[in-house]
Amino acid sequence: MQRTTRLKRELQMLSTEPPPGISCWQSEGQIDDLRAQILGGVSTPYEGGLFSLEIKVPERYPFEPPKMRFLTPIYHPNIDNAGRICLDALKLPPKGAWKPSLNISTVLSSIQVLMAEPNPDDPLMADISSEYKYNKQVYLEKAKRWTEKHAIQRNKGLEETKGQMQSKMDKPCRKRDALYSEEHQDDSKKACM
Amino acid sequence: MENSDSSEQGGSEQPDAQRRRQLDRLDREEAFYQFVNNLSEEDYRLMRDNNLLGTPGEITEEELLSRLQQIKDGPEQSNTNESRSEEAGGPEGQEEGSNGDSLLDWLNTVRRTGNTTRSGHRGNQSWRAVSRTNPNSGDFRFSLEINVNRNIAEQQARNEEGEQTEGEGEEPVGLGAEPEIPMETTEVVEEPVVEELAVIVEPEPELTRPEAPSVVQPFSHQVQAVPAPRPRGVPVTPSFSYRVQVPPPPTVDEPPRRPPVTQSFSQQEQAPPPPRPTAEDLPPPRPRAEDPPPRAPMTQSFSQQVQAPPPPRPRAEDLPRRGQRRARSRSPEQRRTRARSERSRSPLSLDTEPLPEAVVEGSSRTRQHVLSRQSTVEYDAQLGGAATVDPPTAPQEAEPVAGEGGAAGRRPPTIMLDLQVRRVRPGEYRQRDSIASRTRSRSQTSNNTFLYESERGGFRRTFSRSERAGVRTYVSTIRIPIRRISDAGLSEATSMALQSMIRQIMTGFGELSYFMDSDSDSSDSNRGPNPPPEHGEALHNPDAATAGTAASATAGGGLGQDSAEPRTDERGGEGGTPAAGAGREGRAGPRGPISLEEPGSLPFLRLAHFFLLNDDEDDQPRGLTKEQIDNLSTRNFGENDALKTCSVCITEYAQGNKLRKLPCSHEYHVHCIDRWLSENSTCPICRRAVLVPANRESVV
Repeated sequence: MQRTTRLKRELQMLSTEPPPGISCWQSEGQIDDLRAQILGGVSTPYEGGLFSLEIKVPERYPFEPPKMRFLTPIYHPNIDNAGRICLDALKLPPKGAWKPSLNISTVLSSIQVLMAEPNPDDPLMADISSEYKYNKQVYLEKAKRWTEKHAIQRNKGLEETKGQMQSKMDKPCRKRDALYSEEHQDDSKKACM
Repeated sequence: MENSDSSEQGGSEQPDAQRRRQLDRLDREEAFYQFVNNLSEEDYRLMRDNNLLGTPGEITEEELLSRLQQIKDGPEQSNTNESRSEEAGGPEGQEEGSNGDSLLDWLNTVRRTGNTTRSGHRGNQSWRAVSRTNPNSGDFRFSLEINVNRNIAEQQARNEEGEQTEGEGEEPVGLGAEPEIPMETTEVVEEPVVEELAVIVEPEPELTRPEAPSVVQPFSHQVQAVPAPRPRGVPVTPSFSYRVQVPPPPTVDEPPRRPPVTQSFSQQEQAPPPPRPTAEDLPPPRPRAEDPPPRAPMTQSFSQQVQAPPPPRPRAEDLPRRGQRRARSRSPEQRRTRARSERSRSPLSLDTEPLPEAVVEGSSRTRQHVLSRQSTVEYDAQLGGAATVDPPTAPQEAEPVAGEGGAAGRRPPTIMLDLQVRRVRPGEYRQRDSIASRTRSRSQTSNNTFLYESERGGFRRTFSRSERAGVRTYVSTIRIPIRRISDAGLSEATSMALQSMIRQIMTGFGELSYFMDSDSDSSDSNRGPNPPPEHGEALHNPDAATAGTAASATAGGGLGQDSAEPRTDERGGEGGTPAAGAGREGRAGPRGPISLEEPGSLPFLRLAHFFLLNDDEDDQPRGLTKEQIDNLSTRNFGENDALKTCSVCITEYAQGNKLRKLPCSHEYHVHCIDRWLSENSTCPICRRAVLVPANRESVV
């Protein structure tokens, strides 16, 4: 109902006082299609990386949570090959924890936290999760490698205008696919969702 | 607020056109808030409950005004086929034969506007859907009848009309306005098979325990229209009844008899009369298509809901009765017994039990009662009283009942879907769950009725999700009295099988046919002598009008027997039901399914599908009922209040805004929070439950 008004306000807030390490903007003037970038947290394997996300705002927002997914490949127990994120705030209750008082900014912050602190007990990527739990060093290295390979190079994009970003964003996706096909694996193990 | 918005817009670098659009939108939004603020409490509720408020910024004030006007005027008109169009569903609303989606929309629409009837036909199938909403309780009832004409065999059906009319008279609702429909019913179906599927989904009524649903009295043929009765005005539980009745081919003789008993049936039947002649030709399309008329029957049910009143009830049972003549020995008494037994059996019956006895006299009513059981005891009491009171009616009913079996046979196969939905409040829901967990499936051989209550809420679904909050409904339990459930035993395995079967049924007509088969089988089994194939043949062979009749007769007889048997069984050992059921099952052999000519052609089924299929959704968030929401305190934002922002729309409150304060002290715009609460039960800020667990009644 209040989607438009609310989004407008949210975007304004995001532009005026964005959470640290997070930026978000409209994608090509579409109010319901946003793009965001999260800067990998310091002292995490994602440090230095700039991760892009796609945000789709449902018609019923804020009564329904925004749909977010990573466009940039990321090696994380709770984020799958397609960039889908296993995060309670992105789901409606009772399974999820979305509530109208949350907003895009807070959810992005949650994702940022999730990146720093994976939740291996509710994994989307079972193998990464077990790696995180039992062989953390390997996980850290892989995650770092992925970050370097897919996220850091994007730093150049930082200066790009948003419009340009858009076109660039498609790349990672394709890359991601290719990547997975070679490196992975079956998603059959996914547990989350 | 608006101002700020505009400034924002200005900031963005959007094309002028876009900016202009946004400005317009903001203006409308402002107007919207103003409009909402100026609405009286009642008007606001009316609009909200009917989902007329729309989206701020997208609706002009004029539109809102006109909607308000319409809704105010609307309620009175009982049948608003067209009227409801105003709202979303509008477009499809009246059309017949629309596709499933439209049906859904229609449904949604209906809910808002009140009562609606819609019909259409496809090929040899005709359907009629009637919906009614009880503004007070929020209960929603939806009935769908699908007739399949196989052969026109005889026109006998027509006779019934008279009877039906009676039923109509009873109907309280406005439907009456519409004349009965001229539907031509075509069908004289010869198929003996009568299937009645009564699925009652009862969401729990708040007060009452929903479970009551046990009611299911599925006499086999007799239709269990039953569910309808939600007499108690209040919190009626929503009962979902899904009946599929496939009346066996009607024999000519009987036609007259049919007492209007089952209104629903009667409608079907009635409708046909005129057309009958045609029927012979295979009047496939059932008549109703256009007619709104059907309502009569439906109405009755509605009425029942509204008024527990005895009168209506009868109909449920009636249908079947016609069969009586047929040999079926069912004496009303027997029926009664069944009813009782059923009642007693029903798990829910707990409270209701008393009723049954009372009911007994009213035999036919009992069923209704049964349904009603769901409702609170009070309700039961009413029923009981009614039952007793009604005696007069009872007799009628009884007769009809007797005839039911026969009637069914004669009548064209009809599939009825009777849905009564009530929003389930959170508390209720829980109860329901518990109830559901207890679920059991029983098959009563005697009745052929199968009562299935799913655990895990297998059948309960939300129908939801429609965006209109108002429409969302959770159905807790569905009882399906199926005469016979397939060969499978009553065991749990069976239940699973049933589930799937039902689902299938709901999903498509084809599946329905499958079901029907099972029924027929059962009859066959009972009959022993009659091979199932016959039925099928009968159905298929239109030409064999005569043959059909004969077959129907036999079928009818068979049915009667079946019913009789079941009853007896029940009497003998109601408790022993299971055993009986088992026996039956054993008998029933798998038979070739009766093939319907146009399987899957009915869009309605999709609807059913919609209603029933999401098992996985059990976890869906449950919202509060309008009543519950309305009970939350509200206030107007005053000048002196500190600046605050509604966290739903992130807009600062402006003077005059209506705010609703939740128990946790968090406030929101009424229109913001109401929408959230219609689907959720926690505070958007602190997630505290808005409702105190108080209403959570202990599970029986």
